[in-house]
Amino acid sequence: MTDPLYNTLHAEGLLSDDSYEKVKQRKQNPLFSVHWELKTLLYLGVLLLTTGLGILVYENIDTIGHQFVLLFIALVCAGSFAYCFKNKLPFHAEKVKSPNTAFDYILLLGCISFITFVGYLQFEYQVFGLNYGLATLIPMLVLFFSAYYFDHLGILNMAIANLAIWMGVSVTPKQLLLHSDFNSETILYTYLLLGILLLIGAYATQHFGFKKHFKFSYQHYGVHVTFISLLAGYFHYYDSIISAVFMLGVFLLAYLVYQDSLKNKSFYFLLLVVIYAYIAISSLVVRMMIQVGDIGSFYLLSMYFIGSAIGLIFLLINLNKKLKAA
Amino acid sequence: MIAYNKTWLANLLLQNEVKQDLQNGCITDAEFKAIAAKYPVGFYTPNLFVRVGLFILTCVIISFSNGLLTLLLASTDLIETPAWFLVLGIFSYAALEFMVNSNHHYRSGVDDALLFISACLFATGFAILFYHNKAGMYYLPLTGMIFLLNLYFTIRFADVLMATVSCIALLAFVFFGWTRIIPGGLTTVPFIMMLASAGLYWLSFSYNKKVPFIHYQNCLIIAQVISLATLYAAGNYYIIQTLSDELNGGRASSSIPFGTVFWVWTIGLPLVYVGFGVKRKDTILLRTGLLLIAAAVVTFRAYYHILPVDIMLVIAGAVILGIAYGVMKYLKTPKHGFTYAETNDPNLMDHLKIESLLVAETFSTAPSAPADIGVKFGGGDFGGGGSSSNF
Repeated sequence: MTDPLYNTLHAEGLLSDDSYEKVKQRKQNPLFSVHWELKTLLYLGVLLLTTGLGILVYENIDTIGHQFVLLFIALVCAGSFAYCFKNKLPFHAEKVKSPNTAFDYILLLGCISFITFVGYLQFEYQVFGLNYGLATLIPMLVLFFSAYYFDHLGILNMAIANLAIWMGVSVTPKQLLLHSDFNSETILYTYLLLGILLLIGAYATQHFGFKKHFKFSYQHYGVHVTFISLLAGYFHYYDSIISAVFMLGVFLLAYLVYQDSLKNKSFYFLLLVVIYAYIAISSLVVRMMIQVGDIGSFYLLSMYFIGSAIGLIFLLINLNKKLKAA
Repeated sequence: MIAYNKTWLANLLLQNEVKQDLQNGCITDAEFKAIAAKYPVGFYTPNLFVRVGLFILTCVIISFSNGLLTLLLASTDLIETPAWFLVLGIFSYAALEFMVNSNHHYRSGVDDALLFISACLFATGFAILFYHNKAGMYYLPLTGMIFLLNLYFTIRFADVLMATVSCIALLAFVFFGWTRIIPGGLTTVPFIMMLASAGLYWLSFSYNKKVPFIHYQNCLIIAQVISLATLYAAGNYYIIQTLSDELNGGRASSSIPFGTVFWVWTIGLPLVYVGFGVKRKDTILLRTGLLLIAAAVVTFRAYYHILPVDIMLVIAGAVILGIAYGVMKYLKTPKHGFTYAETNDPNLMDHLKIESLLVAETFSTAPSAPADIGVKFGGGDFGGGGSSSNF
């Protein structure tokens, strides 16, 4: 496949002599990369080690004592962070490459052991008392700091998840913890707020040009959380007039994300907009059809789904062309 | 033979090959454009996100169309026969041929969905058909039929999923054929399965390099992975013992004949895979071998509890990290044609930052965390798969 191919291309004048030589050289000593395998091994190693240590501590808590366990976790944590501070490249508002492959995983180990440390303190000694908000706020702040300071996307994602937990905890700590009873309205608005915050974060990240490559994570979580809470709100207030507000919210958000994804040429968010908007519109249509409520409306509904899906296919194909041309 | 335009397929391969050179900086942008213009590809192949969207929408269309058709014919007897699924399958297949031949869809989501649905409909139809003729031989004709069907789809559309199913169906056919037809087949079936999968591996490996099969490379790679896995499974101690228990009528037996052979197979074969993978620089062998080492460890632990699970995990984690560190140190400068640097092909996974999502999925725990709804909302969209993303 290779050599005759390049000979032909060269003979046809499509490859210059210079390029032809370069290609030939590259084909002569191909390098076999085990990068992917090594990354997987590192990931697995950290996962196994942390899980194993977790179980080990849990099993032997009676014999080794809390202070020793805490000390050990603190040592792992401090060691990892010390390594990271020593080896990191200087901070910059743009993307900073990690100094070596192991760096990311050592940082990850440090962050996880820090979370374990705080959780352990709280669980065993109730350092924060019943103030669960504070107990989750501190790990969150540390995670956000590490994510920005060492430029680690994985940590950022953990930080965002922790933000969600912190908001969930601080809004309704008592009900959640004492009765494990989800007050759905409060949860709904909390997560709506979270989603909007994340979307603002995504916008701000891009607008101020500060760690622009973090935008994807903010937007990814933000779009999903906001759309789902809006749709959940629509179904929660299904019979009341407030549902219309949520519906309008869905379409407004869809419009905004649509504009943004056109600007940034992001097919992923474009697809999300199309899917969530389609769910919204279809739920309106289904609602209408149910109100008619005879067998004829079922036929109509089937035709609607067939027709609308065909329409959407053409829409997607056209949007794709538009994005490529833009 | 293959349904897609062959010239375009060849041109696509050529463009992909040359694109790698472009990314490695061997050729210039202008040269790449000239080559792409000289060897055009006329397929409609959108990017992955559009492909996913089109796949979902096509599934919606087909299921509602089928529902509507069934409803319209609800009064007739036709829809109660297994033939109805075959009829619906034929409709989907006709739509597929149409999309591929006149609209030149190639891996666009539309053709994937139609292929998937028609294969499912045909398989359901056959399953019901054979179930109705209760002669005690149910799986044998079914697996045979599914194998032939999916083999046809694989040959016609060079689809990886179809290739996967047809390989599994073929091996299942051999298994059921041997155990049902040959008396006492259960004792010898491991060796037959080993032979069958080794044969399949040899075939797919040797034909992968041949020019007439160039469009089936991905299918043959999948065939290699599956045959390597079944070759291992055929001699795995745990699987053999479960089978022989079944032979004894559900009684658990303490030992099995040729036990040592199977233990050697269980532990040794993954290492052989890895060894050959490194020696021949064969990614498939190497990765399958690495995965099967985990299987070997799990099998071993199922019989011998040498260490409690926590210590095992700690040791395994430390050993793995140590090995990875050692290999990285060793390959600081590329040796023997190996490197641990990333290759230059920007992988689609990088765009999604899958590794970061994966990290968030598996590691996001917090002290006294009652409501991690936020994790559920966002995290689970792209599970599986790793990436070479540099954070």
